[in-house]
Amino acid sequence: MSKLRVLSARGDTVLEWDERKLQTGDPEALAAVREAERIFEEQRGRGATAFKVESDKPAQKIDTFDRTAEQIIMVPRVAGG
Amino acid sequence: MVVTVIALELLFVLLIVCLLCRAPYGVLAHQPLGGGRRSDWREAQERAEQMLRDVLAEDDYRQLCRRGYLEVPSRARPRRVYRIPRHQGQVKVYEGGVPIMALCVQPVDPVPDGDVVMMHKLMIEGNEEEYLRIANRFEPTLYGFIAIRPRGRV
Repeated sequence: MSKLRVLSARGDTVLEWDERKLQTGDPEALAAVREAERIFEEQRGRGATAFKVESDKPAQKIDTFDRTAEQIIMVPRVAGG
Repeated sequence: MVVTVIALELLFVLLIVCLLCRAPYGVLAHQPLGGGRRSDWREAQERAEQMLRDVLAEDDYRQLCRRGYLEVPSRARPRRVYRIPRHQGQVKVYEGGVPIMALCVQPVDPVPDGDVVMMHKLMIEGNEEEYLRIANRFEPTLYGFIAIRPRGRV
């Protein structure tokens, strides 16, 4: 399962989709990935930064939605404290 | 005369107690106020903690719990390590084991402590130059870290 996590005041919210089902054209998986893509763009519009996170690898900043990613974590806008 | 001295001493003690009760680095400012929202905030903290357990490598999570910080090596500077505190505060930067500066970066909107740990880790690993550009810097002195440098220097 692939995941999109959005960090927020409520803790993180998670949306999951099945990459294998996506390849077979499963309508539920397609709807989930479309929703994830919508949230991704919406959060980017608010100034969030997205990172692709995979096991045993350093995080990688991404600017476009990657439906094949194991996990994407969106960090809200930050500032010097 | 004696009463005045005692009153002054009491005032002094009260002042010290007030100063000690203050949360460091604006931690209170990051908590939503209002009794009705406290349980929501606690749930958010628990969810963020679970996220840390899910996403961090087992050794990293163990280090965070035992030592109270998570070390993230720099990808751009081989001898540099960033030490992210368990709870919100400054990230200490070490080179060759020596503290060289502390950095302060905060989310604009409040998020739980676990999410802040993750935020620092992701930005250091995946966007280190931008992280350094945004951060306010503090240099080590005999009396702790103090802000003396303007932004923009790495």
